[in-house]
Amino acid sequence: MLREYIQNVHSLSIIGMCKNAGKTTVLNRLIAELNEADVRLGLTSIGRDGESVDLVTRTAKPGIYIYENTLVATAEDMFRLSDITREIVYSTGWPTPLGEVAIVRARSDGSVQLAGPSMTSQLSELMGLFASFGAQLSIIDGALSRKTLCAPAVCEATILCTGASYSRDINAVIDDTAFSAELLTLPKQNSFTDAQLDAELACKVRFRRENGAVEPMPDDITLAQALTSREYAGVESAYVSGAVTDAMIKPVLMGGAKLKGFELSVEDGSKLIISRSSYEKLMIRGVRLAVRRPVRLAAITVNPVSAYGFDMDRKLLLERMRAAVRVPVVDVESEED
Amino acid sequence: MMTFAQQENIGFRYVINKLECSSPYGQARVNRLRFFDADEAEELELQLRNICAVRDTLAELSFHYGRLERLMMPMKDIRRSVMNLEEAQLSELELFELKRFLLQTELIYPVLEEVKAKAHIQGIDIPAQTEALKLMDPEGNRAATFFISDNASDELKAARRLKKELEEKLRRENDPDARAKLTAERSLAAGREDAEERRIRKELCIKLVPYKNGILSCMDNVAELDFTIARAKLAEAYSGVMPEFSDGAVMMEDMINPRVADALFERDRRFTPVSLEAPVGATVITGANMGGKSVALKTLALNAMLVKAGMLPFAKKAKLPLFGGIFIVSEDLEDIDRGLSSFGAEIVQFNETIAQAAETKGISLILLDEFARGTNPEEGAMIVRAVTRYLDRQRSVSVLTTHYDGVAGLASAHFEVKGLKDMDMEAVAREIAASSGSKKGADIIASHMNYGLYRAQGDESCPRDARNICALLSLKDEILNDI
Repeated sequence: MLREYIQNVHSLSIIGMCKNAGKTTVLNRLIAELNEADVRLGLTSIGRDGESVDLVTRTAKPGIYIYENTLVATAEDMFRLSDITREIVYSTGWPTPLGEVAIVRARSDGSVQLAGPSMTSQLSELMGLFASFGAQLSIIDGALSRKTLCAPAVCEATILCTGASYSRDINAVIDDTAFSAELLTLPKQNSFTDAQLDAELACKVRFRRENGAVEPMPDDITLAQALTSREYAGVESAYVSGAVTDAMIKPVLMGGAKLKGFELSVEDGSKLIISRSSYEKLMIRGVRLAVRRPVRLAAITVNPVSAYGFDMDRKLLLERMRAAVRVPVVDVESEED
Repeated sequence: MMTFAQQENIGFRYVINKLECSSPYGQARVNRLRFFDADEAEELELQLRNICAVRDTLAELSFHYGRLERLMMPMKDIRRSVMNLEEAQLSELELFELKRFLLQTELIYPVLEEVKAKAHIQGIDIPAQTEALKLMDPEGNRAATFFISDNASDELKAARRLKKELEEKLRRENDPDARAKLTAERSLAAGREDAEERRIRKELCIKLVPYKNGILSCMDNVAELDFTIARAKLAEAYSGVMPEFSDGAVMMEDMINPRVADALFERDRRFTPVSLEAPVGATVITGANMGGKSVALKTLALNAMLVKAGMLPFAKKAKLPLFGGIFIVSEDLEDIDRGLSSFGAEIVQFNETIAQAAETKGISLILLDEFARGTNPEEGAMIVRAVTRYLDRQRSVSVLTTHYDGVAGLASAHFEVKGLKDMDMEAVAREIAASSGSKKGADIIASHMNYGLYRAQGDESCPRDARNICALLSLKDEILNDI
């Protein structure tokens, strides 16, 4: 049962490593399990999702089938593609290309098409709205490569979906998924207080010195330059607003700065857009990577069936994935875990 | 009328931006201000009296006003949907918003009636739209949601029952083939439901058409109520007063200009209220540099504009006509950009003003700030004298500030800024010497400046404070001694 992994969770995001990773299968399975347990759900997606035919790859996709009393936040144009009996309970005022996002209570079972808001602040507000209308668990369906977006940051837990559609090479599936899981579950940073991070500073990077002083890194030097300069020798941790990329990290690794014990933190794991090799080098050099908002990765699901016509060995994929990560791994299709 | 830049310059936009409406209907009134024409005084007076009535009861009825504001806050502007009711194309979401609005009228009505009775507000009516609501909520649940009930038609009831039966079966059926068959049947039932809901929504729109004007009127009245409360709060914050309408003369006592007052307050200084009486004809203000002549002029322009825009003027007492037009002629950067010299721009502006004022219904207010200052003093003075004589003959209220001698005597009234006249020059000089830097000197002079406007007594030549100010601000001795 998938439900076991998200006990006491009030908000959950489901994100995929790629398209056709089995996200919708996981969602439908969860919806059915939670219906059995009488858990009232709130459902939305980041942007458009839930098409019955995948718009990108033209493969048949399962629709999202919900049960009576579920709350759904979706754009107005999606109403006509859904066949539930609707009761409109709230209009959010958030415009999308598919119309304003409204909250609907299902007065019957049926299939729905999701097209929710795409801003972090809206998603976060929506979680509160769902709860106020009686949802016990809110689920955000992430869309293609929106892994780099905000869903995990506004939710208490995340399910990461992966599978044969990601790559023909099982090693790539395992390694890259494990790496994503690693980035998602970095520990909480403890160098800066919330007030220090919320303070308006016109800079991308802020430093904390040994003596506790916090200061902005000037925009006219790079992180690599700062860490090798005498002036910033006393800096023991840095927080980067926005994304950390290889372009920023590689010069740091090559610059010869003393990095042992240095803490580098970002808002959440999705802000680390670095290669596996950069990550490993940072680890070897003794850098502590951390995040402001840690994500609880509840489970990883694997789908051995690829949408592109090749399947992997169900048992092998499951076993190797389990060996590579510290979180529960579930096969999307099989009933026994 | 004034350009946007001029409205900004006199502090009018500053005041407008301070209006805080709760609903999009009220906000629309702020965004598209209505300026009352000279012959609309009656309606204006009604609005102004309502503003006073609300202002006077803000404390006593604070709970009621707060409740009204909270009821208006979640509203969305759906006038367009209502106007298109006949087309019967309203979407579920539009009907949802309409139902919410109708529900709000039921909640607003009793509160508003109580407030109207206690505060004596007139002409704002938001009757509960119970009849229209009955169409949208036939079972009387008063739920703030939109749902077409099964009872709306036999066909809907039948389609939904069938759909539900199939859903129940689907919940229990595990065989893929049987499921596929049930799903297909269910799709047909859902199609029937959808078609019938569509028909019912159309029918609902048509049934609502007779209530259209009533609903639109409610929306207009929500706008008026919201706008009135916002105006009353602002009047309370800056001491607005009910003006008395005259057929020409202006008599303003202790006017305030919130933008200047707030800026001064931030620097720990107080705004000196401006009092001014200007009859039909020309009124001249003379006085020291730095004495606040321009501020006096802007403050008059601001308060006359506020009345024209349906707001209370900020003053202790206000008597003025409902001006047809309000014009201000001053150096305008835009005109200089057009390639005119500042002097040329002024003359062009003045011409346009005279022409527009002649075309405007009712009496106009014409304000000239240091007219012709950009040309040589001899000719400048002659021009201003001629302009003053001309304006004094017109049926408009004109107020000019000037440095030139021999102007004031030509006008019907003359005011002057006391400025540094009563100041102990040596004491101020010592104070400046004790501090350091010439920038502070300006502040010290400002703190001793008497910004009050006084009716000039006999002497009509302009004061000679400029040299004193130069001395206090330590202009180079070599130059000062040579003046």
